[in-house]
Amino acid sequence: MLNITYFGHTSFALETKGTTILLNPGIWDGNPVVPDDFEARMVIATNHADDAIGNAATISVNSKAWFLGSKDAADKASEQGVKPWLLHVLETEVPYEVPDVTITPYSLSRIDEEAGGHIENLGLIIEMGGMRIGYLGDSSIRGLFEQLEMDILIVPIGGEATFEVKDAVSLCIDTKPRIGIPMRWTSEDQPKKFSKYIEQFGQGTKPVLMEPNQVLVVQWAAGNEFRYELN
Amino acid sequence: MSENTKKNVIIDLEESEKILLDGVSKLEKIDVSGKLSVINVSERSRIWNVKVHLGDTRDSTDITDELLSGGEIDVSGTWESAYGVETEAPIVTLTEVFDTCGDVETEEAHWAYVSSKDNPVKITITIKNETDGEIDSIILNKTIPPELSNIQIISSKSGTAEFDEGTKQIVWKDFVIYPQEETNIVIGATGQVHDAEVKNAGEIVLTYKGEDQQRSVLNPDLTALTEFLMGIETAETEPNQWECTLECSNESDMIVRLDKAEVYLAPEGGGEKQKMIDAAPSIELSPDQEWSASFDVSSKETPKCTQEILYTPVRIITKRVLGTIEKTSQVVPVYKIEYTKEFDPPSVNSFDKTPVEVTIEVTNAGTAKLNEVTIEDNLPDDVMPPTSEHITVWIRGEEFTGTYDFAIDPEDQDPEKAHKISFKIENLKDTIGELEPGETVKINYAVMAWRNRPEKEYPSPIKCTANIHPAGIPAEVASPEDGHKLGVIYKKRAISTKKAINKGAGAGEYIIVLVVSNKGEVTAENIEMTDWIPSGFEYITTDPEDDQPEVVGVSDGTNMIWKWARMNPGDKKKMRVTVQGEGEYERREPEVTSI
Repeated sequence: MLNITYFGHTSFALETKGTTILLNPGIWDGNPVVPDDFEARMVIATNHADDAIGNAATISVNSKAWFLGSKDAADKASEQGVKPWLLHVLETEVPYEVPDVTITPYSLSRIDEEAGGHIENLGLIIEMGGMRIGYLGDSSIRGLFEQLEMDILIVPIGGEATFEVKDAVSLCIDTKPRIGIPMRWTSEDQPKKFSKYIEQFGQGTKPVLMEPNQVLVVQWAAGNEFRYELN
Repeated sequence: MSENTKKNVIIDLEESEKILLDGVSKLEKIDVSGKLSVINVSERSRIWNVKVHLGDTRDSTDITDELLSGGEIDVSGTWESAYGVETEAPIVTLTEVFDTCGDVETEEAHWAYVSSKDNPVKITITIKNETDGEIDSIILNKTIPPELSNIQIISSKSGTAEFDEGTKQIVWKDFVIYPQEETNIVIGATGQVHDAEVKNAGEIVLTYKGEDQQRSVLNPDLTALTEFLMGIETAETEPNQWECTLECSNESDMIVRLDKAEVYLAPEGGGEKQKMIDAAPSIELSPDQEWSASFDVSSKETPKCTQEILYTPVRIITKRVLGTIEKTSQVVPVYKIEYTKEFDPPSVNSFDKTPVEVTIEVTNAGTAKLNEVTIEDNLPDDVMPPTSEHITVWIRGEEFTGTYDFAIDPEDQDPEKAHKISFKIENLKDTIGELEPGETVKINYAVMAWRNRPEKEYPSPIKCTANIHPAGIPAEVASPEDGHKLGVIYKKRAISTKKAINKGAGAGEYIIVLVVSNKGEVTAENIEMTDWIPSGFEYITTDPEDDQPEVVGVSDGTNMIWKWARMNPGDKKKMRVTVQGEGEYERREPEVTSI
């Protein structure tokens, strides 16, 4: 069983068997999306922009959690006080394994809205709780993700630095996850459109629209029946 | 007509009913007035002390007195008195059915023109005689409105009917309608309107006469005096024996009825008079005809007699009803629709998959209420159609969750086929009410533009129809066959490949580095890259493992084939292939294809 908690923007916590992974606890509109005292075993920032790394260093320090991320993100976390022994730079396509969890990063990128061009952003395949979760972070490209199998795809839809709705829908159509979860929307109609398009064109993929602080419970019932419940 | 009849005083009741019907032949107003005339038909005799006795028969009229005094009426003169009559219905009923679509049989007539099409108009006018007498002198004038052409009289049960081009009127006349019977005329025409303004169906004026009929129940009688000679002749037949004779003579040229003749004798010695003649002959005396009665009496002196005589010119009653029915022109609205269709976004990037919102709005642009609306939208190939559950409908700006038909043909989501979308909402009058002028039906659904090619056109023509209740010829509006093209923005494709051949660590080992990247502006799909391994070398492995190629032997070596479903702009793939063998490693450039 896997519990997925959404905090807003691109921030999620994945929890199974007491292991919690916090993804991109960014700062959005000047405010941290996840409280500083959040307890996690791992905190991952897929890129070093504030809306991704946010208060990850503080949470990591407070909860003595490992900090995982790209080289740039790790450097920034180090600057923000994360001890070296808690830091781990994720290497592209090199799995990072701890008991019950495997994280495989893939090289993607996001648009640098301030300087222009692209900056590195990692896409993650996280295997935990018997599920394969694809997490694109702030990606504006799909990279190898179109070839990967996954049960759950968490994908940005807000445009600007990242995927637009159409890109997210298109990736869901191509990868056919069991459920697609939108994130990082900038207007209310974007998640509605994502759900509408996935329902129509997803060819089996179900859209799950999560509001901040909602928890999605996913599991393999009787070992082989995929079930999910949004609380 | 006999000579005597001519010489009767005539009481003539001429009652006129004027009826106004509304546009749908419903009685709106009825006014009945009458004129009672006493006509002295005599050529030489006046009548005077003329009194018309009405008694209780004036109940339905506004006449207050039982007795009307006509005074003196000269030779060939007339005395008249007007009155009003209370009544609720005319003696003739007129109905017009103006059916704007006579070709389609329905229980109720079609009541609106469809704009910009030929309307097969059928006008049926029925006249019914509601009385037990004949109706004659019928003339019906039907004004034909300017929208109608090809006027033809399809049938007329009675009389003659003609269309006068000059006055634009149908004139139907020369017939009678027998008691309780009806007749009709059927007119055919073609109606054409090119705007949405309300039209008029043309008024009808019907005039008729019901001879010997009346709307009141007046049954007048008449008393009057005229030239009438009367006297008593006393002649002694024997001494002191007298014969007294009352003599009356009609001196007029009219028939006069003698109603009462009494003669009284004054006794010689005085005392009460004795009635000697007491007659009520009710005899009608022709001009110059005489009447007498006599009695004998003994008297030494000449008897003194007095008389009381009542007579009156004989009257006959003539009566008729003259009627006029004016039917107001029926209002004929026009049904017409307009539409808009929008794609959001209006254009998609070539070779991409893009959800596109399709919004179609049909507006009632006419003056008639609409009962049904249909939309037929055509989606080109390279577009994935929606599913029927994901259409949103608004009526009058509010989301509609009632019943409608929505179909997709063929019933699949194959983007390689063209699809026809059919939407129909009907029977609005029994659900949320008909669509009033200016109101709209809007539908929205999403399609997925599917790898559209920039050199290809994607027209998405549409046809909308609407109808009234009962349904006639539908109002239509449609785009051209190549209308509403989904725009495709050409985005340059640029797949680049780079190759390096490096010596490996082992003997005869080479590391082939292949980099394929999408440097174009658009996502590339179905990318296939082939690189050749010369004969004498064999494929060992590829890093990363996820990018293992398909290895196929060819005549001069081995081909490695990689396939990727999609590469977004900026995407790059780098593979390190290990091969091993003997000899020189010949270089050939990798080949890459995509759509």
